[in-house]
Amino acid sequence: MRQRKPSFSWRKVTESKLFFPLIAFALILLFDFIVVPGFFNIQVREGNLYGSLIDILRNGSTISLLAIGMTLVIATGGVDLSVGAVMAIAASVAALLMNPYVLATELPPNLMKLINDPNFTYLPLWIVILVALIVAIICGLWNGLLVAYVKIQPMVATLILMIAGRGIAQLITNGVRIQIFYKPYAFIGQGWIVLPFSLYIVALVFAIAWLLTRKTAIGMFIESVGINARSSFYSGIEEKKIKLLAYTFCGLCAGIAGLVASSNIKTSDAFNIGMTNELDAILAVVIGGTLMSGGRFSLLASIIGAWIIQGITTSMYAVGVPAFALQAIKGVVVILVILLYSEQVRGLVRRFGVQKGA
Amino acid sequence: MRRGYGPNRGLFSIEDVAAALGKLGDLFPSYQRFIPLTATAVLALTAYGVGAIFYPAMRDPQVFINIFRNNAYLLISAVGMTLVILTGGIDLSVSGMMALAGVASAALLREGWNAWAVILLILAMGMAFGATVGSIIAYTKVQPFIATLAGMWVARGLCFFISDDAIAIRDRTFHILGATKILIPGLSDPSAKQGDFVSIFVVVSFIVLAAAMYLTHYRRFGRTVYAIGGNEGRNEQSARLMGLPVNSTKVLVYTFNGFCSALAGIALAVNVMSGHGLYANGAELDVIASVVMGGTALSGGVGYVFGTLFGVFILGVTQTLIQFNGTLSSWWTRIVIGLLMLMFIGVQSLLAARKRGRGQAAAREDGARTSAAMRRRRLLILGGSGAIVALGIGVIAISLTRGPAGGETADTTSTPGSGRCELKPFRQDQAEIAVETGAVIAYERNGGPNCIDELYFIYPDGRIVGDDGVNKVEKQATPAEVDTLLAGIKELGWFTDEMYNTWHTPCKQCFGYYVTVSYDDQIKTVKGVDGGTDAPADYLVVISLLKAIVPGFTAVP
Repeated sequence: MRQRKPSFSWRKVTESKLFFPLIAFALILLFDFIVVPGFFNIQVREGNLYGSLIDILRNGSTISLLAIGMTLVIATGGVDLSVGAVMAIAASVAALLMNPYVLATELPPNLMKLINDPNFTYLPLWIVILVALIVAIICGLWNGLLVAYVKIQPMVATLILMIAGRGIAQLITNGVRIQIFYKPYAFIGQGWIVLPFSLYIVALVFAIAWLLTRKTAIGMFIESVGINARSSFYSGIEEKKIKLLAYTFCGLCAGIAGLVASSNIKTSDAFNIGMTNELDAILAVVIGGTLMSGGRFSLLASIIGAWIIQGITTSMYAVGVPAFALQAIKGVVVILVILLYSEQVRGLVRRFGVQKGA
Repeated sequence: MRRGYGPNRGLFSIEDVAAALGKLGDLFPSYQRFIPLTATAVLALTAYGVGAIFYPAMRDPQVFINIFRNNAYLLISAVGMTLVILTGGIDLSVSGMMALAGVASAALLREGWNAWAVILLILAMGMAFGATVGSIIAYTKVQPFIATLAGMWVARGLCFFISDDAIAIRDRTFHILGATKILIPGLSDPSAKQGDFVSIFVVVSFIVLAAAMYLTHYRRFGRTVYAIGGNEGRNEQSARLMGLPVNSTKVLVYTFNGFCSALAGIALAVNVMSGHGLYANGAELDVIASVVMGGTALSGGVGYVFGTLFGVFILGVTQTLIQFNGTLSSWWTRIVIGLLMLMFIGVQSLLAARKRGRGQAAAREDGARTSAAMRRRRLLILGGSGAIVALGIGVIAISLTRGPAGGETADTTSTPGSGRCELKPFRQDQAEIAVETGAVIAYERNGGPNCIDELYFIYPDGRIVGDDGVNKVEKQATPAEVDTLLAGIKELGWFTDEMYNTWHTPCKQCFGYYVTVSYDDQIKTVKGVDGGTDAPADYLVVISLLKAIVPGFTAVP
């Protein structure tokens, strides 16, 4: 009679992609629990939930969105440095479509009323969002074409748009930071339906990405391309189209993130929106355990990675670290987390578990 | 390659020189490797030449030299970055290190340290920082991208531990370092101490360049660098198996880059005579772009340190052209650089494809199919590059036709200031008096490509008076308009404690603004420059609201 395997095995747990991100996130929350009194308090106001934990989730939604797209790109063995710039482009397009008068030489006489009116928008909201997202998708397609069909190294190909993109965004708004007064647009980033509205957007995008990659073969194709593009090609996977899809989806995610970010600060700030967010997103994916060289990925782990980054930021603010000094601490934490991830440390943890288990 | 690497060699020997000459000769047949470099050089000089045709002021040799003066720090940093990229790595921490070097030296000088001791200490700090990052990359196999990113955050964050504000440098030695003019023989008159000159850091940057060229092309160290990065970084394992000191070389390369960024930071600090944690924001992109435009492949192992000089030069020419044009806004620099990068990368990948294609054709029978695919790709790349060049020329042509009516006349009347306006002191006292006598808003705008200086006062009854620097302007708006304007400004939170007087370093091409608003028994004043990052978020919105009501406003000044 065969011995029944224990359903819980230490090895299985440590090998899960979610294990290390969850441990790291738990450590951050533990730190908050000890150091910041009342960090876990959640208030209910007018049926909506508020609190530091909700803040982490809400403020992390931009990076979460980017991380979802970035995960797929990194899983194909590439990287997309342009997401921050694409965010700025999408935000600029949206703001311009809602209020093109700001740029006009001939100003309408009732301008002051128009741009202060919370119900004024030049084009209906759905067209604004649609056009902004289409522009973002075009940006993603451009990256995908350069990487997959022209065969330029991903880091270089996307660096082009990273450098030029912010210039393009400023070109679109003519360098003006367009203030967004339109209330329904502000709801994207600032609205609450029990939970922050942006969280539902993250959930929706996550669900789409998850269904796309885990309920169809696309996820496996992506991993296969990331592990070995050539052998995937020979086994009949159209690796170029898979890469194109990944970059396009990443562009779309960046576009959505740009809308969320701009509605959050109610401005199309071409210069600052998404600044260094590409780095945060890549970091989130790496913390989520996806290798930069491509291959297996976990979308959920990447989102937890984004929460970890936001958790560090939020808890440092809660402790009272000044905003600028935060960067230094973030850098140190990143190095620690990554050292924790290195094979040496992982091996150590596993051996420790095996010894205990035996 | 085999020659001249015997044990126990002196630093220089006849053999060395002979080997060097021989190597130069060896390199010529494989001229293909020089194509990206030559392309950059030709393009840079052509761009400058075209500029000189359209803008007579650019024919002044000093303008040419200024490109190196303004970008000396970029060149120093780019040289270090070239080595890092040759090993197949990347270093994002350079801009952080530059800012840290500037702030740290400014802080130490404020404490009364000796300037030379400060410089040595800062350089040592840069090297230690580089060595740390390099060790993490070499020994724990962390991706260079991630490790140096963390390094950038640490360095930039440390700046703000030292000081939140910009620290001015008043040290005499630093002043001498910045102000010394080294006259160029042949272009100057030494007895009159006049003529064209370079600054000390231009010389320093060229010394760094020469040193790096010697290190990479004539020393074992350089050979190892190329070996690690070769074959798109896949050679690292082979290099290790060959017994090359891969790890220590990597650490050395990052240490050298740390040294270069610290030196660049000092050059920058001397240039602006102050240090602040926000300086050199995003400079790593410029540095990487220069290296790529200089013909070094980001995948590693391909390129020349010398090419980086042209990469930096082309960046400088782009900036200069945009400044001289005057109608193009500063963000065009970014777009042009992006397009240029695309072109260079296209050329590079074309060359790589040709090389690969040749290898395959020799090895295989089905060369016909490969070459067909290759021809298609070549067509694509050539077509793409052609389209980009056409686009670039188109943009320049359009901007020229749109340029200040008759570029020639505009240039001759305001040559010294053309595109290089320094901001004038704001006329604050005038504004204060006006506000005391009942004006609700005082709004000043100066600088910009055409060196304007406008000051307007808006009164609650809708009266707007002011001058555009020369003529008096008057306009009558309705009191309701003024009320809406004030309400709009209040909506933005200007009459809360968040708003404060702010000031940051002026940039070329920017407009400086000075706005005083008197409302609700409070007076708020904000000074700022457009295009900056640290102005309050709503500040430029107020400017755009103001522009709507103030007379004589046109979108393109």
